[in-house]
Amino acid sequence: MKKIYKGRVTEVKQAATDLYYIKISAANFSANAGQFISVLCDNCTLRRPFSVMDCENGVITILFKLKGKGTNYIKNLKEGDDIDFSGPFGNGFSLTDKRSLIIGAGVGVAPVLFLKKEFDKKGVESRIIGGFLNKDAIPANINLDMISTDDGSLGKKGSIVNFLKDEIKNYAPYRIYACGPSIVLEKICETASQYGIQTQIAMEKEMACSIGVCRGCAITLKNGKNATVCKDGPVFSGEDIKW
Amino acid sequence: MVDLSVNLNGLILKNPILTASGTYGYADEYDDFLSVKNIGAIVTKAISLEPRSGNTGRRIMETDAGMINSIGLENMGIKAFLENVLPKLEEERISYIVNIAGATFDEYIELGKICENSRIRAIELNLSCPNVHAGCLEFGTDEGSLYSLVNAVRNVYSGKLIAKLTPNVTDITKIAIAAQNAGADLISAINTVKASGVRISYVRGKFYQERINGGLSGMGIKPVALRAVSSISEAVNIPIIGMGGISSLNDIFEFISVGADAFQIGTANFTHPTIAEDLVNQLAEFIEYNGFASYEELKNKIREDIKNE
Ligand SMILES: Cc1cc2nc3c(=O)[nH]c(=O)nc-3n(C[C@H](O)[C@H](O)[C@H](O)COP(=O)(O)OP(=O)(O)OC[C@H]3O[C@@H](n4cnc5c(N)ncnc54)[C@H](O)[C@@H]3O)c2cc1C
Ligand SMILES: Cc1cc2nc3c(=O)[nH]c(=O)nc-3n(C[C@H](O)[C@H](O)[C@H](O)COP(=O)(O)O)c2cc1C
Ligand code: FES
Repeated sequence: MKKIYKGRVTEVKQAATDLYYIKISAANFSANAGQFISVLCDNCTLRRPFSVMDCENGVITILFKLKGKGTNYIKNLKEGDDIDFSGPFGNGFSLTDKRSLIIGAGVGVAPVLFLKKEFDKKGVESRIIGGFLNKDAIPANINLDMISTDDGSLGKKGSIVNFLKDEIKNYAPYRIYACGPSIVLEKICETASQYGIQTQIAMEKEMACSIGVCRGCAITLKNGKNATVCKDGPVFSGEDIKW
Repeated sequence: MVDLSVNLNGLILKNPILTASGTYGYADEYDDFLSVKNIGAIVTKAISLEPRSGNTGRRIMETDAGMINSIGLENMGIKAFLENVLPKLEEERISYIVNIAGATFDEYIELGKICENSRIRAIELNLSCPNVHAGCLEFGTDEGSLYSLVNAVRNVYSGKLIAKLTPNVTDITKIAIAAQNAGADLISAINTVKASGVRISYVRGKFYQERINGGLSGMGIKPVALRAVSSISEAVNIPIIGMGGISSLNDIFEFISVGADAFQIGTANFTHPTIAEDLVNQLAEFIEYNGFASYEELKNKIREDIKNE
């Protein structure tokens, strides 16, 4: 059930340039891949939404990128500090039992790493690939089946979308899951649809309430209807999105 | 249990803490966090005659001490509300007030009639809506058009009529007097403050602007709201529901001191989803701990002490 949790910070650790992990212990909290929590930050009117990257035995991991007031507040938290967050929010990914390709771009790898773990637990075959700016932008201690960097400093050189066609041909996935910048998601959906492959993508939008009431995060779908990223999403079928 | 009840010109509520339109959905959306039925009343999201899909593009932006919204009154329309939501409100015994928004004069009257026929106990007229027949000027910015509008709704609606005022006017006392003369039972204030949110970034030698024009709410508007409520209370004798940046018991005392009789909590619900019920409990505890008999007694005490200062 959605509620406010008073968690305890167990670790804040740098993961890459401007990227950090925070681990929060919060009894009884559980979430599915693709769901998010909203963190209360000092001197901020609005809570900050973050995807759950892992959640096991009452410990939540978040991977976050430094941006402004809120993420700097979180970065400066210390082990043992209290952290107020609410959740879990959103629909999360829906898993298939068929072979899937999972793509994370930048900090967008966070929710899809959780998804990969869920696939592995279910014993469903999947392949996870990630695209980053350069080698310094790759979070430490993550396992990916293929990496690309824009400058070629690690893995293949170029945007991850450039390798998508080959990935599809070689791996022949039934479905593609992705999270990352909007422009990357758009290209992934475009390519996937050329091959007739379904997509599930996790979107981002500025949020106020996180529960579907303020309508601040609404987007218009292809069918003309409005959907909220916080409650109807953040995971959508790529086919439904009007880019 | 302490007596927190209020009689606002005949509108009787179990306590003076309400939740503001647009921040609480239509009914029990916050029930995961608290018991919505313990709140004095929820005010629904603005409801129009026809469903509206609202504005496209950026709809919210956080500011230094609040947020700006430009939702554009996205809502399900009165028909769906009556069919799908009203039974739930009644069944769950949630105390509610329906916030209504028209695009034209006639739409407000039509909405008033529908609420009358549906025996809705109280409606709040959102007077910050652009009048499409008058150059999209807000109904609530001109005392003449506000008077005609409130009066016309008054003639078709016999429940409790609340006029919700916009702060975006030259002299809010004139507007408040017009609302009272037109037959409003209560005044609520303030709606959001007209504002622009701007973010500038400088990327690879080029400046970029992100911008939203909309209504400012939250902590930053509390001083504007206190001034407005104060002016209104000097001008009229009907009860006032104060709002604008309320997020603590002390804020409530400040609003009482300038003339508010009840309160709405808006943006603070986003930050602290349990705040409405927390404030009900804190108010009860304060009253009990300090030996007052009731909320009414506390309210009078605050006002008397200030008068004698
Ligand atoms: C469903 C969802 C999941 C997310 N998951 C992650 C994650 O796992 N890791 C991560 O690093 N980031 C994630 N984000 C983005 C993250 O919420 C923002 O980076 C963060 O709110 C920035 O806060 P700030 O105060 O540091 O930045 P500021 O720019 O100072 O924030 C100002 C305002 O804009 C909002 N905002 C700024 N950027 C974004 C954004 N990209 N998306 C939504 N709101 C934004 C803030 O919440 C705040 O209200 C997610 C966003 C959403 C909607
Ligand atoms: C996202 C959002 C949506 C709102 N929608 C409405 C609305 O539909 N009708 C209305 O009368 N006021 C609306 N308001 C204004 C609030 O009801 C309230 O008057 C204002 O936010 C000031 O209170 P606050 O500072 O506590 O938020 C909205 C405010 C916000 C933040
Ligand atoms: S953040 Fe309020 S509707 Fe999504």
